[in-house]
Amino acid sequence: MKRKSYGRDAGLSLRMLFTSFLLGLLYVVFAVVLIQYLNFGLVPVLVIVIGLAFFQYYTSDKLALRAAGAKIVERDEAPELHDLVERLCAMADLPKPKVAIVDTDVPNAFATGRSPKHAAVAVTSGLWRRLDKEEIESVLAHELSHVANRDVLVMTVASFFAMLAALLTRFGLYAGMFGGFGGGNRNNNSNNTPVWLIVLAVSILTYVISFILIRTISRYREYAADRGSALITGAPENLMSALQKISSQITMIPDRDLREVAGMNAFFIIPTSVKQRTAELFMDHPPLEKRLAALEKIAREMGRPVA
Amino acid sequence: MGLADVLLGRKKLKSPAQERLFALSTARVTLDTELGLKTSGAGGIVFKPLSAGEFVRAENDLQQVLDAVAGESGSKLERKSDDFGYEWIVVRDADLEDQVTTVHAVAQGLEEAGFGEQLLAAAFKFEPKFGDGKDVYWVYGYKQGAFWPFVPTGEKDRDNAEELELKAKLENELPIEPDLSRWFGLFNAPL
Repeated sequence: MKRKSYGRDAGLSLRMLFTSFLLGLLYVVFAVVLIQYLNFGLVPVLVIVIGLAFFQYYTSDKLALRAAGAKIVERDEAPELHDLVERLCAMADLPKPKVAIVDTDVPNAFATGRSPKHAAVAVTSGLWRRLDKEEIESVLAHELSHVANRDVLVMTVASFFAMLAALLTRFGLYAGMFGGFGGGNRNNNSNNTPVWLIVLAVSILTYVISFILIRTISRYREYAADRGSALITGAPENLMSALQKISSQITMIPDRDLREVAGMNAFFIIPTSVKQRTAELFMDHPPLEKRLAALEKIAREMGRPVA
Repeated sequence: MGLADVLLGRKKLKSPAQERLFALSTARVTLDTELGLKTSGAGGIVFKPLSAGEFVRAENDLQQVLDAVAGESGSKLERKSDDFGYEWIVVRDADLEDQVTTVHAVAQGLEEAGFGEQLLAAAFKFEPKFGDGKDVYWVYGYKQGAFWPFVPTGEKDRDNAEELELKAKLENELPIEPDLSRWFGLFNAPL
């Protein structure tokens, strides 16, 4: 008897592929326009963006840990946490990441790092205190799934051209103010629209569309990590109760604490700001209800009782 | 892992590597003569229990497997669970070879029942033949298909120096997990 596999959400896979395809298409069009109009000025900009992307990619673990104020803890400082992570890594066939704790009362967790070998998972002290062991385990499994799915790599690649577009928008604005873009481009279009205006318009458009698409991909990655957590722990209901606890705690806690960690939203298991419920299109995490519904579906497939 | 896993996220855990477990039987002589370690009479298999509904169904199959294995091998089988929410099937048998065979049979039974991906590890407990040294566990990771030593010295501590020495001594006979960060411990193993 072969067990069927769970959470094989064909719709999710299809949506992920479709969004990636749209993003790729957008970037190709953007690149074509740039090459068409900006054959001179493009090289230095590209170098800058590639440099930035690599910097971000290679330092993602340290940057994110520092931005969140996370402190790496060794085994003797948090033996239980290390035990949990070790076993989950074994189940997920991952090397053990660095383990860090953020000293804040907001219950949350995040993972970062360019590859499973250079990864780190962090939990807040609030998460450790307020959730029970199974729930913490499911949250860690969610974060490890981000590592296994190489989400930092995916998001770096996905946002590469968005960074380029953002940079060009800025350059375009300067060019508009000070006249001219790069060197001798202006001479060719004395009668037409100036190059910098076209580049500016296309860059803004690319940036806006890619922003939405990247956020969409980010939401899909969350569903995938939720599924990964269910697979690793075999118990999606633990993650469901953890998510509910975390989100209710987060809404309860006053704003001042939240802003301290607001820069880290894309990495957290639940974003710290929950104000823009309506604007799902612009959110990097799916709304809680949808995540719970997806987990419930996996739980049903597993034949697991759902509270 | 392939491109599909990166693009779409993993949909499945790695299947267990079962075969290399038998290397421990072969290493028995070295363990005995060179390291002065003998089996304490207990080995076990640890796995993550899955969904209630399916597990009840598989439970019957599993019980049948356990009964059949127990009848054939003469080993005693016990079911336990630990603080981490993992299930254990403990095999008690004075002979290491029989222990290994029985653990393998149980693991296969679990895999046939559809729980192969939930297998975490097998563990075998050894004790010094003479004097009162530390107990040594040889842990077999099903995902990696490799062994590593585990020498607990208390509730939370382990003797890394001893473990590395064991590794050096048995490297030629046992497939040892090269990545030290994957040598997770099984503290309070119910063996």
